[in-house]
Amino acid sequence: MAETSLQQRRASVVVIGVGNALRHDDAVGLEVARRLRERAGAEGIEVLEQEGEAIALLDMWEQADAVVLVDAARSGSAPGTIHRVDATFEPVPAQLLGSSSTHAVGIDEAIELARALGRLPARVVVYGVEGRRFEAGIGLSEEIEAVAGWLADSVLREARALVDWSEGSKKCMS
Amino acid sequence: MSEAGRTRTIRTDYLARVEGEGAMFVKLDGDEVLDVKLRIYEPPRFFEALLRGRAFTEAPDITSRICGICPVAYQMSAVRAMEDACGVAIDDGPIRDLRRLIYCAEWIESHSLHVYMLHAPDFLGYSGAVEMARDHREIVEQGLAMKKAGNALLALVGGREVHPINIRVGGFYRAPTRAELHTMTEPLERARETALATVRWAATLTFPDVEREPELVALCDPGAYPVDRGRIVSDGGMDIAPAQFDEHVAEEHVEHSNALHARLRHGGTYLTGPLARYALSGGELWPLAREAAREAGLERVCHNPFKSILVRGVELVQACDEALAIIAAYEQPDAPAVEVEPRRAVGHGATEAPRGLLYHRYEIDEDGTILDAKIVPPTSQNQLAIEEDLRAVVQHHLDLPDEQLTLRCEQAIRNHDPCISCATHFLSLEIDRG
Repeated sequence: MAETSLQQRRASVVVIGVGNALRHDDAVGLEVARRLRERAGAEGIEVLEQEGEAIALLDMWEQADAVVLVDAARSGSAPGTIHRVDATFEPVPAQLLGSSSTHAVGIDEAIELARALGRLPARVVVYGVEGRRFEAGIGLSEEIEAVAGWLADSVLREARALVDWSEGSKKCMS
Repeated sequence: MSEAGRTRTIRTDYLARVEGEGAMFVKLDGDEVLDVKLRIYEPPRFFEALLRGRAFTEAPDITSRICGICPVAYQMSAVRAMEDACGVAIDDGPIRDLRRLIYCAEWIESHSLHVYMLHAPDFLGYSGAVEMARDHREIVEQGLAMKKAGNALLALVGGREVHPINIRVGGFYRAPTRAELHTMTEPLERARETALATVRWAATLTFPDVEREPELVALCDPGAYPVDRGRIVSDGGMDIAPAQFDEHVAEEHVEHSNALHARLRHGGTYLTGPLARYALSGGELWPLAREAAREAGLERVCHNPFKSILVRGVELVQACDEALAIIAAYEQPDAPAVEVEPRRAVGHGATEAPRGLLYHRYEIDEDGTILDAKIVPPTSQNQLAIEEDLRAVVQHHLDLPDEQLTLRCEQAIRNHDPCISCATHFLSLEIDRG
């Protein structure tokens, strides 16, 4: 039975790195996901990468109680600036991610679509990393590379806290 | 009206619901459209450069990264071109069936996304799918369910939903079992029903009265609706092998765009995509799709680009129907791929991406190293046709206030489902009534 509850817990929090691997800093979400995969996986936190259009996110977080999204941002802040937005109850500000998206529908829209359809996990946290270069090309800018490790740690801490929250809320329910 | 009263400028900085971003500029003088420019900042030259010096086997995976919506199209044009270079043709049997199946999956996924999430809000008067979902939850759920069936099939055959990793020169790394494919029968049957409902629903929409007649260009594959192979044919009488693409299509640099504008050497503006496929190969649709087209009131050739939503619906029916037939008849091949030995040669590959003809050409040396690569995405080819559509739409709707005219222009661009991220990053829109 203990194993079953662990299994349930494993499905409860998902971290999704979003981006385009071949558009320089737009790849930062994918890079964070790669750095986290083993560490978080060992703790039962699922880590996914999403390179295509954002509507697919609705299926990726379908089973989750909580999701942490990591994407590049282009809001005009200094490159490497990390924005954290709790989108559980309110939308991600449009200027944060919208204009940097190379996707048909941005992740901010995917979140709002899911909210309108009642398909949003109970907790949604978005990390946006201010990028500098978004043209086609490989490799993160220095400023982005410099914060990637710290960001991965922060995302992992956030995911752990969400696992605790998810566990706690399940206990309250039972 | 005073001179000052006629001087208006509209600018929106971001055109949503188009894959990627670019820029559009419309200049008016009173009732005259002076200039229409669609600016695409960045052609896939980066990828062509990246390919040089890589192994011929790497082209499918590298080019699949060009577009997040149609990776399979890039992979399929790449494998066909490489096989062409190496003197291998996979035109029958289970490997070709699997290729057609995964291509059907991409059509289902891409067309569902476009019809429901990107195009439908234009017709129903919403600024996007999110606003539409609040009032028309069922319609959006319908689209999402159909898209999910496409994604699931893509993941099953391709190994992963986005950028499938299972496709290789010569076939696949692993062929699915019959049992695995049969798990998709029920979801695809439901998707087919939804596709039929989609066509019926789309037929109830109101379409602006615009007629356009660019030369229509698509693959033709006698005995089949064109997907993964064929000759390049036009309604103007062109009928060429993919290897002759360069002889017939000129790519020109234009001042307002870094992208190359494609133009037929013998004519000029041409259009690829659903309207062209339907006009040239509508007779190859299977009975269910053909009947859906007839019921929707589609004529043999559809000249109204706003009705492309109907044709996409019909193609959704066809793709679901074909996918089900392939699964029903499928026998797992003994080997998932044929061996392809490199040789010094040039190869050409053309397939039908959801948004139109996608051409690849590679030159490889005897050990398979790529010496040169050329990729011409459908959106580059459709740019001139889209510009001319915009000119016609603006001329037709001069009486609309700027805000509505802007929306109408966006809709006119979305008619052709441009995959602008294949070539660019930003799309802003400006109307100058100078």
